[in-house]
Amino acid sequence: MRKILNLLRGRRARLENELDRELRYHFDRRVDDLRAEGRSDDEARKQAAIEMGGIEQVEEDVRETWTWRWLEDAARDARYAARSLARSPGFTATAVASLAIGIGASSALFSLLDQVLLRLLPVKQPERLVLIDWKGNSLSDNRGSYNLMSYPICRDLQKQDRFFEGVFCRSAQTVNLATAAGERPEPVAAEIVSGSYFPVLGVVPARGRLLQEEDDGEPGAHPVVVLSHAYWLEAFGGAPDVVGRKVLVNNFAMTVLGVAGARFRGIDVGEVPALWIPAAMKRQATPGWDQLLERRAQWMQVLGRLRPGVAAAEAQAGLQPWFKSMLDEDTRREGFPQVTAEQRAAFLASTLAVTPAPQGHSPLRRRMDEPLQVLMAGTLLLLLLASLNVASLFLARGAARGREIRTRLALGASRRRITSLMLADSLWIALLGGALGLVVAPLVSRALLSFLPTDAGAMALSSRVDARVFAFAFVVSVLTGVLCGLAPAWRAARVPLIDWLRERTGATGGVRLRKTLVVGQLAFTLVLLVGAGLFVQTLRRLVLQGPGFSTSGMVTFDLNPVRAGYEAADASRAIRSALAEIRSLPEVESASVAGLNLLSGGSWNNPMTIQADRRFVTGRMVLMGAVSPGFFRTLGTAVIAGRDFDEHDAGPFSEDGGARAAVVNESFARRYFGSASPLGQRIGFGDRPDVKTDIEIVGVVRDFAYRNLREQSEQAFFPFAGDSPGVMFYVRVRGTPAAALTSIRTAVGRVDPTLPLSSLRTMDEAVDRSLNTERMLATLSGGFAGVALLLSVVGLYGVMAFVVTSRTQEIGIRMALGATRRSAVWLVVADAVAMIAAGTAIALPCLWAVRRLVEAQLFGVQALDAPTIAAASFVLALVALAAAMLPAWRAASVSPTEALRFD
Amino acid sequence: MPPERFPIPQGTLDMLVLQILSLGPAHGYAIAQRIEQISRNAVQVNQGSLYPALHRLEQKKWLRSEWRASETGREAKFYALTRAGEKQLEIEKQSWDRLAAAVRLIFAQGE
Repeated sequence: MRKILNLLRGRRARLENELDRELRYHFDRRVDDLRAEGRSDDEARKQAAIEMGGIEQVEEDVRETWTWRWLEDAARDARYAARSLARSPGFTATAVASLAIGIGASSALFSLLDQVLLRLLPVKQPERLVLIDWKGNSLSDNRGSYNLMSYPICRDLQKQDRFFEGVFCRSAQTVNLATAAGERPEPVAAEIVSGSYFPVLGVVPARGRLLQEEDDGEPGAHPVVVLSHAYWLEAFGGAPDVVGRKVLVNNFAMTVLGVAGARFRGIDVGEVPALWIPAAMKRQATPGWDQLLERRAQWMQVLGRLRPGVAAAEAQAGLQPWFKSMLDEDTRREGFPQVTAEQRAAFLASTLAVTPAPQGHSPLRRRMDEPLQVLMAGTLLLLLLASLNVASLFLARGAARGREIRTRLALGASRRRITSLMLADSLWIALLGGALGLVVAPLVSRALLSFLPTDAGAMALSSRVDARVFAFAFVVSVLTGVLCGLAPAWRAARVPLIDWLRERTGATGGVRLRKTLVVGQLAFTLVLLVGAGLFVQTLRRLVLQGPGFSTSGMVTFDLNPVRAGYEAADASRAIRSALAEIRSLPEVESASVAGLNLLSGGSWNNPMTIQADRRFVTGRMVLMGAVSPGFFRTLGTAVIAGRDFDEHDAGPFSEDGGARAAVVNESFARRYFGSASPLGQRIGFGDRPDVKTDIEIVGVVRDFAYRNLREQSEQAFFPFAGDSPGVMFYVRVRGTPAAALTSIRTAVGRVDPTLPLSSLRTMDEAVDRSLNTERMLATLSGGFAGVALLLSVVGLYGVMAFVVTSRTQEIGIRMALGATRRSAVWLVVADAVAMIAAGTAIALPCLWAVRRLVEAQLFGVQALDAPTIAAASFVLALVALAAAMLPAWRAASVSPTEALRFD
Repeated sequence: MPPERFPIPQGTLDMLVLQILSLGPAHGYAIAQRIEQISRNAVQVNQGSLYPALHRLEQKKWLRSEWRASETGREAKFYALTRAGEKQLEIEKQSWDRLAAAVRLIFAQGE
């Protein structure tokens, strides 16, 4: 800022100097010419000076023409405005506080929105990164989040160098990491990546070197890892000699190659990895699950860097011929699954989608996208409302400043100057509000982050005000400043001078405009109130509905012996011993293990083939889970038909004989068997024609929530065979769960003290976590609605109080002529009622227009739910009328004699 | 009896300045001199309005200026017409012609 001022001063000095020289030249030439005509020196000078008409005046007139004069005026206005605002601290504080709330809230939302949705990856030219995804039926086993592809297809895509400078693939996984032999292993986030990952992204190392193509060759032959900068600092204290050290990944020794640059934190904002492992080491990184070279195993995301000048659409179109021939080749490959003609056709009709991915790939973004946008819309509405409030305050102040404006106009000030003076006022207020808003923003951000499903630290989201948030707050401040100043400035410029001079300005036009602003405020408030009502009801209904089983006294945790280096057989023995230890604890009522993590959002799902009176495939995915006998009892859900599993039932993949059994839930039974009993019916995994339907349904259980509380899904359960790499323990305890946590830890420690127990929490916590988004929406929208209600009520009170004050005389005369007190009250209340009605009338179509935005976030309630809208309107009307009663009461208590003595 | 020398009517000074500069670059004093000479001293250029006019025209980018040695050897600020200035001059000439024709027509009616 100072630099600009200096620059201006420098320019100004040069212009002044030149003007001086220019005029002096003219003067001297004229004197010379006059002397040549025979005048004396003195006479010539006098004559020349007269002709010039006074150098000072000429200079002043020339200065008028210099364009940056407006800047000087603006600086003067700013100084003047600052002084006049300082003289009315109450007004200033109210206006600044209103805007600080609006700007603070929207900056906080922007900060999160920016970090989750907008920010580009901190890599070389992120705008050329694209996600390459399979569209259609890939006939694959999918394990992971979204946009899944197989490792071999990533290798194939790397050869498509006509479009791509490079292609890489990656998968987010959890591994147990011990920083040295003998250290206790901890579960950490890891990214399993192709060797091309770092070179294609263009990441530079902070220490040592990063993974290269050579580190991702022969499977199992490259025991190397790269650490993230943050993990290096956290777990190794930033030790300079970390390169070359050995760490244990799932108890398998791997050498640290290097540390990635500090700014690079993986390509998923929701899952910041501690280390990167080459895909060639998949078997060690994901023990018990190796399908690296399997073409039909999709578990990685594939991203590419486009060649310069190649558009994503171009690459997509250009890749299709190759992709078609690859699909065709795949169908002839050995091991291609047996499929129906229909499925084969669907497979061959698959295409590749190439979409820009400059922000990387993130399941978190997918989940938070809509809620964040809803909240952003809410905060912008709140900000708009705060602006209207401040505009209204300014109008009131403008009326009070009428005398000053009249004087200025009478002295010949142009309307533009008056307008700019008014704008200077509101810009000051807005910038102060913005500055205060930036103080508020981190607090709101922190509250927001606490609502996120996983803890903020793991996602490296921060509540810090960075340059982008600062820029956002600044731009928003200036915009609101102009917005707030527009109404009063427009009015100042519009009112005819003659009206100003007649001092007739106070009560007429200003009040009408202020009432219009209040109507706008009431309308916005109603929209926010309805939104809050909908989200609160959504949350309430979900909580009331519950997960379908009793959560009190229920503790869950995750135990994964395979990741601790156990062989499969030893792992299942360890799990059984741990279960026995826990069951023997006095405070444990019952305990079970299962291969499913309830309410975590994740699931194992597959289509199924059902053999009833005819053979058919389920139309939708069935959610599945492997559970130990007694699981349903531990959960407290009833087996309503048939029986629970027993020790003799065999798992769906077990080879050692035994009858294969399944238990399905009510929804499954109803959807696929209708009123008939599903007991004794046979089902099979998958939808291919060669699926063996040799699993017998032995029981039906009541529905309970699986992925989250919202979803009603068809579920099928199978006996837990102990062959799953990781399991969840479900323990029902007597007394408080908190007390039982320690003894549970000890019990597992008795089996093997090095076995890490992760995600140890109560089921109530799990329910809470699964409702985080809903709770965030309900809490914040409720807060916004409350603030909005306060602001608009203050606005309504302000304008009505003003009306009563300026009409005291009129009311007095009416009363002297016999009007009743009731009619005086009605005078005010009628106004308020009209404003509330108008606000409601405006809000209703607005609600209709934004219904699509919120629909997906709601549960058990429609976006245009009539009772909610009616209740919100009622609350608004009640509070607004209460605010109007105070001035109404004052109007009623006007004494005619007092009023007429006025003036 | 009209006065011997009359001031330039409001709004026409800009046009005259552009016209003079269309003949070649000149400094302020020379512009004033030339307007008076060419009009055979019929019009008088008020110095107090000439310089604000020059600066205004320069702001509008119809003129550009540079400092160079004048005929007396002293440095003076020379103004020259820009492309935009030439266009503006054409526009002003045409509207002046139309106005003058209209005025003549009205006078002819009155006789």
